[in-house]
Amino acid sequence: MEIKIKDHEGVKIIALSGDIDMYASPEVRKQLLRMIDQRVPVIMVDLANVTYIGSSGIATFVEGLKGMMSYSGRLKFFGIPTKVMEIFNFSKLDKVFDMYGSMEDAFKS
Amino acid sequence: MMGVQNKVDHTVIEHMEHAVDEACSNVIKHAYEGDPGKQIGVTLRVSPEAFEVIIEDSGLKADVASIRGRDLDEIRPGGLGVHLIKRACDVVEFDEKKKEGNRLRLVKYLNVKHGNKDKRP
Repeated sequence: MEIKIKDHEGVKIIALSGDIDMYASPEVRKQLLRMIDQRVPVIMVDLANVTYIGSSGIATFVEGLKGMMSYSGRLKFFGIPTKVMEIFNFSKLDKVFDMYGSMEDAFKS
Repeated sequence: MMGVQNKVDHTVIEHMEHAVDEACSNVIKHAYEGDPGKQIGVTLRVSPEAFEVIIEDSGLKADVASIRGRDLDEIRPGGLGVHLIKRACDVVEFDEKKKEGNRLRLVKYLNVKHGNKDKRP
């Protein structure tokens, strides 16, 4: 898995690619929690190039969401592949995650 | 690969891949206490009737009675893996006769005529 961090107009974008499994999740968690410690107001996660997500990846995002809610930050996801979306739906996280089709849509909201 | 060769439905294969990944992750986390360097045996059997996976380890015994997923309506980290395993499989059972380590058997029936869905644990 590869993680790229970008800054765009004051918003942090975490672009992930490959599999978010139990090996990759700790690094995603580390990056996410570091930003949460800094109270970054908006974090966007680009999932367009993610090929797989396991329960450890889901747990990482739930932890991130809860961390951001503590200071009213916003965690947004965009470019969600069908396979990943299916797991979000199954775990009922589609009801609590902010999800958008494109980065532009995520910025506008 | 075996599933594709045996013309198993694409969704069944994907769900089983998820189940095996989650089961192996659980072996590393719990049976091997986080050590990814230890051996896990994975055996696949595919027939026209069923897709079967046996996962074996030599780690700590699973406390089968305590294995349960979180309520899916309760949004918190963890507890999803068990649901992903149960979603994929008609049979989820530990071999209680295995003396050391664990042997987990996952089965997905490929003919939906099996009325008895033995889902354990």
